[in-house]
Amino acid sequence: MSLSLPGRIRDARAEPNLAVECDFCVVGSGAGGSVAAAVLAEAGARVMIVEEGGHHTRRDFNMQESWAYDALYQDHGNRATEDLSIVILQGRTVGGGTTVNWTSSFRTPERTLALWAARHGVVGLDAATLAPHFAAVEARLSIREGDPADVNANNRKLLEGARKLGWAPELVRRSVKGCARLGYCGMGCPIDAKQSALITYVPDALAAGAHLFTNARAKLIETDRGRAKGVVCDVIDPATGRPRRFVVYARRGVVLAGGAINTPALLLRSKIVNASDAVGRRTFLHPTVPLVAYYDEPIEGFYGAPQSVACHHFADRGDRVGYFLETAPVHPMLSAVALSGFGAGHRAAMERLAYAQATIALLVDGHHDDEGGRVAADRDDRIRVAYPLSPALREAAVDAIKNMARLQLAAGAREVVTLHEEPVVIRSEADLAKVDGVAFGPNRHTLFSAHQMGGAPMGEDRAQSVVDSRGLHHELENLWVTDGSIFPTSLGVNPQLSIYAHARLFATEIARSHAG
Amino acid sequence: MIRTVNAGRRGLLKKGVLGGAILVCGGSLSLWGRSGQDGPPPRARLTALTPHEYAIFAAAAARLAPGDGASGWPTAASLDAAGKLDTLLAQLHPRAIKEFRQLLHVFENALTGFLSAATPRTFTRSSPDAQDERLQAWRHSHVALFRSGYQAMKRLAHAIYYSSPEVYARIGYAGPPVVPQGPA
Repeated sequence: MSLSLPGRIRDARAEPNLAVECDFCVVGSGAGGSVAAAVLAEAGARVMIVEEGGHHTRRDFNMQESWAYDALYQDHGNRATEDLSIVILQGRTVGGGTTVNWTSSFRTPERTLALWAARHGVVGLDAATLAPHFAAVEARLSIREGDPADVNANNRKLLEGARKLGWAPELVRRSVKGCARLGYCGMGCPIDAKQSALITYVPDALAAGAHLFTNARAKLIETDRGRAKGVVCDVIDPATGRPRRFVVYARRGVVLAGGAINTPALLLRSKIVNASDAVGRRTFLHPTVPLVAYYDEPIEGFYGAPQSVACHHFADRGDRVGYFLETAPVHPMLSAVALSGFGAGHRAAMERLAYAQATIALLVDGHHDDEGGRVAADRDDRIRVAYPLSPALREAAVDAIKNMARLQLAAGAREVVTLHEEPVVIRSEADLAKVDGVAFGPNRHTLFSAHQMGGAPMGEDRAQSVVDSRGLHHELENLWVTDGSIFPTSLGVNPQLSIYAHARLFATEIARSHAG
Repeated sequence: MIRTVNAGRRGLLKKGVLGGAILVCGGSLSLWGRSGQDGPPPRARLTALTPHEYAIFAAAAARLAPGDGASGWPTAASLDAAGKLDTLLAQLHPRAIKEFRQLLHVFENALTGFLSAATPRTFTRSSPDAQDERLQAWRHSHVALFRSGYQAMKRLAHAIYYSSPEVYARIGYAGPPVVPQGPA
């Protein structure tokens, strides 16, 4: 087939060709895939992106949870660890996670980069090296200093409580332009104020001639004598309802950016595993512990910018697992699923939802001896994620619950109610000790993850990594990974901006050496 | 968030003897489950569930998200919770569908009712109080499999119920704002 400029978005289900050819096939159109595709296409390469999800735009974003999670998230909103103990929120649409993320933008902390260099064999990846790529992405996504006007009542409680306790909260930089602070970032922005890949790097890639095939699920990577030849996709034929194969042959290389969990699973399905046996291992989730406080005045956490304040006071706790604090939007479905219990008691909690404030603690996993979770791909293409809650993580979670409760009480909460299956009601400092007496473990407390990392870690030591410090696979000379899978640990901050910047760096070097 | 049981059959069996026994209860030893009670028929043709499985989830959803209709809270049945579950399940991986159906049978089964909550009746034929006792028993069980099963049903029922606009007013939520759409 021939390619014409500019490229366009095509539904693979309606594609008459069973096989197409390009220079680079990019799997995934989120933060890692979109910027890589744009860089490579702008360097003159013929690029094809395959995206598992559909093409949904602001006209589709109706701000209804019943539609959004079904249409825009992995497994129709059903992704979770195999024991259901951690709900995993992960995008599956053009733009990937960027279409549904909550816009919080942080550079990779220098202490995390230093850890990777010291303990995980990552070479030549310091803040100075990444700086121009962060700057370029920040400019493209309109990321600016945090705006006090973004702070809704939900976030203001975090700000006030942390300030009173001397915990140095900060305003969060957001990837928005002309934000109306509607509060529905997680369901797709209906006014295109969020500068997601859907309206930035994907259009950039298309403008440079890339094509994007939707509804094409990468199933296998074809290899031949140490090279990746192409990507075999499953496409559901609308005429028959049966899957058919759609193959993208890539003359120069394949770039994997389907996200942590999907990328390791694709490598495992393709039997592309190296001596390290690291594929799928060290999967990190920033396991997230929510805590709900009730105030006398309405909070209405349904509305307003979902995240505008963060607190990293506890991110580094020395020998113990750290955590950082943010907020979560308080929409009905998300809240109902998170709140423990059922029946009349659960309904009573839901009746107070407008007065509820939700603080979350994100555990910084992988920085100590915890090994994170493991992704497995079954023979029938099912992906499983196992994530054991180590004693160190449990200690951090319990500590976080107590400190979040202190913060919420300092901000004026009438009461704080934990999300244990045996909830603890906290009205004063004296109640905090009760938290120690309640079981914390799988399906005994609500946990979720909106940050997936690891599973194909980078590094120069082949015994513990899958790709090198520029994303190139250790054993296939033209296969790269540019998504959150490459991180050897969790980041300790929201990962989206880091994924963009690392992908831009890697793609720039691929373009320099392979695209010409 | 909507979710289903993810653990494979082999994974379930790894839970130990009790886990294996539970699976048997939900599978081949169907005598204990035969006397289950079906409720109102599905509104539409089912694609993932059988009518009996539909009835089991409908009965569970009625306890998990109880609304009597009269107080302004709609019933789970009036929101067609089980029908929406069927639609959702049909989109999932075939093994996920199979495992969720298996979970429903285990949950309904009189023997597992006896083992988990000392109520030797099928769930659908139990009184509302006994149904709540079984849900509580699974919720707090020392058996990880029961807790996972409870969470699967609880989260699904709550996700379906509380994502329904009919409920918004009851929780002080005015719904999404009206956003004028300019040209694309």
